Order: sequence, then C-alpha cells, then structure tokens
Amino acid sequence: MAVDSLSTTFAALADPTRRAILAKLVSGECSVTELAEPFEMSMPAVSKHLRVLERAGLITRRHDAQWRRCRIEAAPLRNVAAWAERYRHIWEGRLDRLDDYLRTMKPKETTHARKPRRK
Amino acid sequence: MLASRAANSDTFTVTPTSDREIHFSRLFDAPPAIVFEAMTRPEHVRRWWGCLGEGYSVPVCDIDLRVGGAWRFVNRHPHGEAAFHGEYLEIAPPSRLVFTEIFEEFPDSVSVVTTDLVNEAGKTRMSATARYESQAVRDMVLKTGMEKGAALSYDRLEDLVATLRT
Repeated sequence: MAVDSLSTTFAALADPTRRAILAKLVSGECSVTELAEPFEMSMPAVSKHLRVLERAGLITRRHDAQWRRCRIEAAPLRNVAAWAERYRHIWEGRLDRLDDYLRTMKPKETTHARKPRRK
Repeated sequence: MLASRAANSDTFTVTPTSDREIHFSRLFDAPPAIVFEAMTRPEHVRRWWGCLGEGYSVPVCDIDLRVGGAWRFVNRHPHGEAAFHGEYLEIAPPSRLVFTEIFEEFPDSVSVVTTDLVNEAGKTRMSATARYESQAVRDMVLKTGMEKGAALSYDRLEDLVATLRT
C-alpha cells in the first residue's frame, strides 16, 4: 500500500461504526451477519460501511461456502502506527527527560517562578 | 498504546488525529508554571531537550520569547548534530504555547506545535498537537518512521484501534 493512501485510511476511520467493526474484526474473521449484530442497523447500512473499509484496504471479504467472511487487513493500520511511532520516538525521549528535569528544578524553582522574570 | 517505562511515561499517549495531525498527551509532577518555564528558558531547555544520554548535548539554545520571535535549538548527538528552529505564534504562560518547528535538514518540514498545559491537582497535563503544513511533509516523516521498522503485532493493532476509538 502506498504511503499516499494514509488519507484514505483516515477517511475510512473517521466513523465510530467503522472503528467498532474493525475492533471486532481484530479478534477474528466474522460473517456480515455477525458484524451487523451489535449495531441497530439494516444490513444494507452495514454493507455500505464494509464497502468503505474494503475500498480503503482495511478489510477483505471472501466467500466461504455460503457465507461472506470479513477479515481485517493490517497494512493500512501499520502506516497509521508508523506515523504515530515516528512521533513517539521523538517526543517520548524528550518528555521523559523533561519529567526527570522537572524533578530536579521543582523544589528550588517553585517560589522563583512566581517572581517577576529577570531579563 | 505505545507507552514506555520511565516516571509518568505510562501517561504518555500518541494518537494520529487526522492524516496530517498527531496528538499527544502526558502528565508531569509539577505545576504548569514550572513546566512552562522549563520549556521556554534556555538554561532549562539545555538540560532536558534532546539530552537522551551519554554523548548528547544542546550547544545552541536561542529563545526570543515574543510573538513572532525566533527559537533555534541544536542537538549534538553521538553521530553528529540536528538543528531545529521556528517562530513563536502564541505565548500565554503558564497554559499555552504555540510555535512553528522546522527540522533544518528538511527546510520544507514546517509543522505547527500547539501545547496546552492544564493543572490537574498540582500536576500538569500536557496536551499537544503537531500539524504538518503539507501532506508531502507528512509522508516524508512517515517514510522515515517506516524505515525505522515499526513492526506491529496483532496485540498492538488492537491497542491502536482502541486508541483511535477514544
């Protein structure tokens, strides 16, 4: 999957029902009927959400005897995770050091911080 | 999701909120006034920003804390130096700081970082977003992240989906 389709992934994720469908699929393949169960929604409405997820590459559907089974596809979500991961690398280190540093400055600096700034 | 082990770091979350925006949140054991100072005064910034361990230092730390004022930090690390600069857009101590950030190796990499500091019973909840100006820059950052190998197990996938849900 190309990096450029991250926007498509986010557009598909921008709906609570679709995120709930994905969350359910994380634990395993489901039929469309099983997926529709928790939602008070018509089958056509659920199918519409599934089409959006399928177009974004977030799920695939296959025919298994008489059932259509849906499964989650990890690749687009990996891109979202990579995007978050990049930020985590940069910021987690910085903010952990800030946290450590605040511990060293807190006792003597608390009163100082209330005084007017020296320039 | 994506938590680590240092003090308070279990409170750290990173959430992509749109295709060009990342939100992160973290708790600190100090009131907002102290956190704000630690972020905006060179004598403090030098002692934490980019100081990830042995061989790391901040040889340049210029802060002109005015709206429209510039900042520039250089991080010396075991493999060389990395320089960042930007401009302050909004300064409201102790609760809000907005600035642009450019990684000098990629001069087009402009992001706007908005940081809000909220007092939570004497502690500070930092809530920040980084928004990229262009999708091209977002993609560049993303590619770098992918090169670093963000392997993702199904457990973490579950965590990720749960995070996106909130």
